Amino acid sequence: MQAFVNAHEWIWSVLQMIHYVGMSLIVGVIGTLDLRILGMFRSIPIAAFRPLVPWAVGGFFGNLLTGIMFVTGKDAGPSYYTDNLSFRLKMVFLLVAFINLLIFQLSHLEKRTYATPAGGSAPAAAKAVSAFSLVAWLLVIFFGRTMQYNDTLLLFLGL
Amino acid sequence: MLDYLQNLALAEWVRSSPSLFAYSTVLTAHGVGLGIVVGVNTVIALRLLGVARDIPLAALRRLYGMVWIGFFINLVSGLMLFIAEAHTMAAMVAFWAKLLFVALGMVVAELLKRFYFKDLASVQAGVVTRVGRNLAILSLGCWYLALIAGRLTAYPDMVNGWLHLSGGST
Repeated sequence: MQAFVNAHEWIWSVLQMIHYVGMSLIVGVIGTLDLRILGMFRSIPIAAFRPLVPWAVGGFFGNLLTGIMFVTGKDAGPSYYTDNLSFRLKMVFLLVAFINLLIFQLSHLEKRTYATPAGGSAPAAAKAVSAFSLVAWLLVIFFGRTMQYNDTLLLFLGL
Repeated sequence: MLDYLQNLALAEWVRSSPSLFAYSTVLTAHGVGLGIVVGVNTVIALRLLGVARDIPLAALRRLYGMVWIGFFINLVSGLMLFIAEAHTMAAMVAFWAKLLFVALGMVVAELLKRFYFKDLASVQAGVVTRVGRNLAILSLGCWYLALIAGRLTAYPDMVNGWLHLSGGST
């Protein structure tokens, strides 16, 4: 993997572009759905967003794949990432977002939420899940960006 | 002019402050804004191209409110990032290409409003006209080219090498 990823400088830059496209799909689809559940754009029935979700899932798997390529392909070795506090926090908040999603899907909440008609209000518990989701994904992006500037995070935390 | 911008106290702070809230946070804000602008424009375009047909077309236009929020975040954070390294940024081909695609993307959004969303007969009948579909495809093209050009600003030597400009790597 290291040989492939570092064979040409453009390979790394293209993987980065794919990673940003995946991020945009997640922000656009999941962010909009979360805001609708929280009460914006009420004229749209929540279930109407459903066919867009696979686009966000596709973005997620694209990012999982490119992310694995970054970690295993980094010329300085995987420890560049695994020893990086920003990277670790990014993984923590990815896990938080994932558990949050599991709670939404495994409880009856998802079914009740998608039954919300145009103009209707989602269940209060679903609003909590959506608020959590927005914050978790924002922190995933934040710590994704601070990986490169990890020193400023360590300084901020007094570490 | 570039010297003036780069010597502003704000530019100096963004560039050299060791604070987590300086360069790191401004860059994160720019990433979040990118996600909002590109992502929400993608959602709008996908709907116009036939995905998620249950989203009422009249309601779709409201999503532009989010696009504007993302655009504003990136205008402010982008200006801060630009003045921090005004000379370096102004010398980059990829930076100007990105600005061009962002401007074109905003023009296409305005054209969509004028030539599709104001066509209330079609919008209320749930019909996406050919103009609407073509503009949706153009919108996707502009925003993803802006994303690609923006990413390339992180690799100025590589881009200069492609264009056979001085300072390029081969």
